[in-house]
Amino acid sequence: MPGDLEASELHLLIHSEHEDELMPPPDSNLSLSDDEKKLLDRWIMEGAPYDTHWAFKPLPAEVEVPEGNDRARTPVDHFIHRAAVENGLEPRPDAPRTSWLRRVTFDLTGLPPTLDEIDAFLADESPDAHEKVVERLLGSEAYAERMTSEWLDVARYSDSYGYQQDKDRHVWPWRDWVLESFRDNLPYDDFITWQLAGDLLPDATREQILATTFNRLHPQKVEGGSVPEEFRVEYVSDRLHTFGTAFLGLTLECSRCHDHKYDPISAKEYFEMSSFFANIDEAGLYSFFTPSVPTPTLDLSTPDQEKQLAAADEAIARAGAAVAAAREQAKPAFEAWLENPGSFEWNGLLSHISFDEPKGSQFPDLVRADKPASSGGGNVPIEGVRGKGLRLSGDDAVKLKDVGNFTRHQPFSIGLWVQTPGPLERAVIFRRSKAWTDAASRGYELLLEDGKLSAALVHFDPGNSIRVRSRDPLPVGEWHHVTLTYDGSSRASGLKLHLDGKPLATEVVRDKLTRQITGGGEPNLALGERFRDTGFRDGLVDELHVFDRELTALEVGQLPAGTPVPEALAKASREQAFEYFLSLHPPHVEALDHLEKAREARGKIQDGIPEIMVMQEMDEPRDCHLLERGAYDSRGEKVTAATPEALPPFPEDQPRNRLGLARWLTAPDHPLTARVTVNRYWQMFFGKGIVRTPEDFGSQGRPPSHPELLDWLARDFVAHDWDLHHLIRRIVLSSTYRQGTVTDARSREIDPENIYLARGSTHRLAAEMIRDQALAASGLLVEKFGGPPVRPYDSAMSFKPAKPSGGEGLYRRSVYTHWRQTAPSPVMMTLNASKREVCRVHREVTDSPLQAFVLLNGPQFVEAARVMAAKLIAKHPEAPDAVITEAFRALTTREPVPRETEILRALYDEQLAIFEAEPAKAEELLKTGAAPQAKDLPAPRQAATAVLINAIMNFDEAVSRR
Amino acid sequence: MNRCTGFDSPLGVDRRQFLSTFGMGLGSIALADLTRAAEPKADPLVSLAHHAPKAKRVIFLFQSGGPSQIDLFDHKPQLIKQHGEQLPDSVRKGQRLTGMSGNQASLPLVGSPFEFKQHGESGAWVSDLLPYTAKVADELCFVKSMYTEAINHGPGVTFMQSGSQLAGRPSIGSWLDYGLGSLNDDLPSFVVMVTKNKGGQPLVSRLWGSGFLPGKHDGVRLRPDKNAVLYLNSPGGVARTDRRKLLDRLRELHEFQLEQTGDPALETRIAQYEMAFNMQKSIPGVTDLSDEPESTFKLYGEDARKPGTFAAHCLLARRLAERDVRFIQLYHPGWDQHDNLPGAIRTQCRETDQPSAALVQDLKARGLLEDTLVIWGGEFGRTNYCQGKLTATNFGRDHHPRCFTMWMAGGGVKPGISHGVTDDFSYNVVDGGVHIHDFHATLLHLLGIDHERLTYKYQGRHFRLTDVHGHVVKDILA
Repeated sequence: MPGDLEASELHLLIHSEHEDELMPPPDSNLSLSDDEKKLLDRWIMEGAPYDTHWAFKPLPAEVEVPEGNDRARTPVDHFIHRAAVENGLEPRPDAPRTSWLRRVTFDLTGLPPTLDEIDAFLADESPDAHEKVVERLLGSEAYAERMTSEWLDVARYSDSYGYQQDKDRHVWPWRDWVLESFRDNLPYDDFITWQLAGDLLPDATREQILATTFNRLHPQKVEGGSVPEEFRVEYVSDRLHTFGTAFLGLTLECSRCHDHKYDPISAKEYFEMSSFFANIDEAGLYSFFTPSVPTPTLDLSTPDQEKQLAAADEAIARAGAAVAAAREQAKPAFEAWLENPGSFEWNGLLSHISFDEPKGSQFPDLVRADKPASSGGGNVPIEGVRGKGLRLSGDDAVKLKDVGNFTRHQPFSIGLWVQTPGPLERAVIFRRSKAWTDAASRGYELLLEDGKLSAALVHFDPGNSIRVRSRDPLPVGEWHHVTLTYDGSSRASGLKLHLDGKPLATEVVRDKLTRQITGGGEPNLALGERFRDTGFRDGLVDELHVFDRELTALEVGQLPAGTPVPEALAKASREQAFEYFLSLHPPHVEALDHLEKAREARGKIQDGIPEIMVMQEMDEPRDCHLLERGAYDSRGEKVTAATPEALPPFPEDQPRNRLGLARWLTAPDHPLTARVTVNRYWQMFFGKGIVRTPEDFGSQGRPPSHPELLDWLARDFVAHDWDLHHLIRRIVLSSTYRQGTVTDARSREIDPENIYLARGSTHRLAAEMIRDQALAASGLLVEKFGGPPVRPYDSAMSFKPAKPSGGEGLYRRSVYTHWRQTAPSPVMMTLNASKREVCRVHREVTDSPLQAFVLLNGPQFVEAARVMAAKLIAKHPEAPDAVITEAFRALTTREPVPRETEILRALYDEQLAIFEAEPAKAEELLKTGAAPQAKDLPAPRQAATAVLINAIMNFDEAVSRR
Repeated sequence: MNRCTGFDSPLGVDRRQFLSTFGMGLGSIALADLTRAAEPKADPLVSLAHHAPKAKRVIFLFQSGGPSQIDLFDHKPQLIKQHGEQLPDSVRKGQRLTGMSGNQASLPLVGSPFEFKQHGESGAWVSDLLPYTAKVADELCFVKSMYTEAINHGPGVTFMQSGSQLAGRPSIGSWLDYGLGSLNDDLPSFVVMVTKNKGGQPLVSRLWGSGFLPGKHDGVRLRPDKNAVLYLNSPGGVARTDRRKLLDRLRELHEFQLEQTGDPALETRIAQYEMAFNMQKSIPGVTDLSDEPESTFKLYGEDARKPGTFAAHCLLARRLAERDVRFIQLYHPGWDQHDNLPGAIRTQCRETDQPSAALVQDLKARGLLEDTLVIWGGEFGRTNYCQGKLTATNFGRDHHPRCFTMWMAGGGVKPGISHGVTDDFSYNVVDGGVHIHDFHATLLHLLGIDHERLTYKYQGRHFRLTDVHGHVVKDILA
């Protein structure tokens, strides 16, 4: 009640003496101090003005720039100056030119300036010397590498799937796309839109689709026995959490289980938002037994492969036309054949198991006497349709020998008598595949699903498969004959089911099979059971026939009876007879054979094309529900895609899919997107954001230290078409960025955290920069843009050790280091890199003695020191002080002062004495690393210089950006 | 944000006093305190309860894979009686099974083929697979009513180690380091050792990770080789005295810089290198067993001489405890006996029984058991029914989250008791259930921490090891 304390419930609650009334409740372990209570009371007395949380207010169309700072170089400085002065601080004068050069070079490229770059800049007295440097840096590939390195944390990028097994995954082409986007300065709104919804853009290009891999970089599960739906739900949630943290600066995680306590996001809104990310045909587990890439995927074919595919397509078209022609040309011969059709017998029968006369656990194959089928002990012979049949235990497979390893290009048919004990929810009748989810069902199969017959050929279930399902359930408790026929076309239309010899009405469940169905380690047909799948418990089977061709309708009609009767042929319709005739007619058979070969050839090319996981919207959005307490199996009310009430309304002219979401997100007035983005980039240049909790712009985050500056930067960024270069220029060319770092005790006391930036910011370099600097300064760095990940020396020391790459793989920039999610590079970890399991927008940098071990003893650093030593000695043969100066400049960007040279010279002299007294020690030290040794230079001098350089590498200024 | 608030209250002394009381040099706090100098004032929301700790340190002998409670501790004659019969629906109550045996058509019960006897004055049931453990039964507190929600190793181990099935939360040791800080000045406060060459279910380094806490609270893995810690050793050709010379000069450079700038970060830098130099000596001091008498190897077994074995790690755990390392985490994989259980469990027991018991005895003999909490257990239990084929001599057991057994010793828990009861089939807990959150709450309690008050604000939320759950199991407190 504004203005009236005693009538205000809040006042009463916070001052209550009753435990059950008091707010916050005592069991929350939170309490208000007397001052805090007074402040709330004052707020009530002042009319209790209540306002929308700052971050949810639309971005203002214009932000006024304060005036009165004569040292301002960009508008940024006016805002900073005003706040500093208001807090009794005076901004510091410019830092030495070398400091600025070091800052900007590291911040923009992650590398130190070279000696030439330092000299050129110091010699450049033109007024736009700084601008020239910035343009040079922005135009470099190193800039793209640095920006990418930061984005990989946000995108939780890793080269392996994560979780427990953590197998490698092929996603680096997406990382290369990011590199290229930064190199080409793709406008940031496009950068966002492509990653979220590139696949939905009209006439999407390959790059735009590739960008959506962003949404698939979450950890993925393969552990046996896991519930696929549980993890599919987890993946969708991870996409949303990443979206929330990366673009909205909001932590949506809390709202998954309950309405958010502090921010206006309800659990329902959480699931409405997550449903944007649910509509891809994916599995909850990836395949353990096969290397299939989880669907949906994008083919990354080379231009050469494209050409081969086009040629293969033409060959298939020609072969198809030849089949049609052969069909046409067969008509006269058919008429002749009709006169005297001859005998009617099975053609292409590979195997026939009658289940009669078992020999122990074996059942004779009536076609191949030497290859009986084997059966587990739980299966029991029973009275069958003809002679004996078999009752299946569900835990024991009937395994055929050397039969059934068909490719997707080979026609085949399988028929058998079946009796189901009930309308089973799921049961494996037969299959040729190693496992269900553990192999993503690779192979082919006949199942009962919800009592219906379901046949499929599968590369990766569900996204790369063809599947048809009967419209009606299989009648229970009676024998029926089921035949599956397949024509080798890789189309659902070529996969047919027949019941009791007649075509069965089916619906197409999946119709996208583009890759092989063989492999995985189980090449034979088996009945009644599959690894970790539900077996056909108490199901009955009899009279199994396997053919290596697609049976014609006439034959299928005869299969239940077991032997073709000649009268059937006589009674057959003309069409049926013609089809049967064709199947025997050599020119037609030959044409089909050619078609199969043509498909096979295309399949080979296709299987050789690498794939990458991407987003591909399903035709119909998935049914999405609110999940009670976030649990995958507690479905609540149905939800549809929507954005939260507290944020701007979803644009009416946009589709309710990821593309509409991206349009909503990048609308020019969106309250969060631009603010969150400029804040993250500000953080890259000052160590901390204007909002110091970059992951949380909600009410529990820290408020912005300079709210108007944040708004101004955000508006300016949007107004300049989300041009990152423009934003960066605004920041790095400011006086604020150029300031000196040394300050007095009073200023340090007023502003210990340097919130007001009345002095230059200092922070330790990022993990990647520390390693890359050693490589760059020593000349070992291999500058190569993009490509597969590499493994430096420390791979061997990882928790899951891997052999280091040979050759240039040891010397690439750290952004290219192979990232194994459960055992990332130990050097990067020690230096506080993110683990990249989840989206992280800030790294917590701490100092530990373990870092000293890496820099003092790690082979990458010791090797760089000795290689650099040899170079400098060769350059300055008789002048240790010149070596000191040059090494110091290469690693800190500035000249050493005399006292520093003195200390380092003393160090060098001491070490030289040690190594000269015991040259064997020097030889030993110089063996570190794979780079060739400079045999022509005296070992003790090389070793002493290496120790000197290694010491400088460990000097605070070499690992800092001041 | 990441300051340590640990000992401000528990003992009524400040942290600095506490450390000196316990004989720690100034160096121990130098780094920790200096790094905090630049950070904001303590968040009043992070504060610990005012009770004195019973345990100063923890040794967690984690048995990865899920040891079978039915064949080790949870004696069930009923299962022997009904051996081979189907798991009754009245026992299972429609609860979910794992995907590995969940689709099995037949679920026959398996009685343990191992002989059970009662041991010690406490009369604890232990099978003959664990003769050494049986002998120290009176020191142990068996919790037979542990339960979890996880049905698979990845989520299960993550839950046990971090209080959440999902990755990304800090592990127990990281929480303790964050909450209590280090007790010593030249060793990491959270050390991890994984038995070498065990195969089994893969472990991942995030299990000892600091999650959203600052990275310095990560566990440090001791490797069973010359570089016990990543790049601990100076490169070839660099002697310790030579290294000292380099560090002295580096220190001079830093001191000069400090004079010039007054930046306190440089004091941290100096301390960082001094600690590193000390650790180069103290870590080999721990791992070099040459000062151990023969009797040690008699106690722990000959395996303790082989680097990387569980026995060697138990011995190292004692040496680390002697040096006041706060949290010592061992992992011994290989308990995942889906098939061939009778043979495989013997191997596991042979590797772990003697050294686990030896550790308890040894700590007791040295007066360390009193304030060292030793914990033995895995991420879940195993099913009472057979996975795969039950034969006359062979069987397997699948994962079972609804009950399993752990034991604890020392550090303020009651010795010689068994807590909690499972049904006659070792399927569900019927009395005294201890959820993983309860286990964590109890562990923190023993270390002087109220589990509801050890929090860290991340993404706008105050996180706890116990999430929003957990009750201290008062019945097992001494």
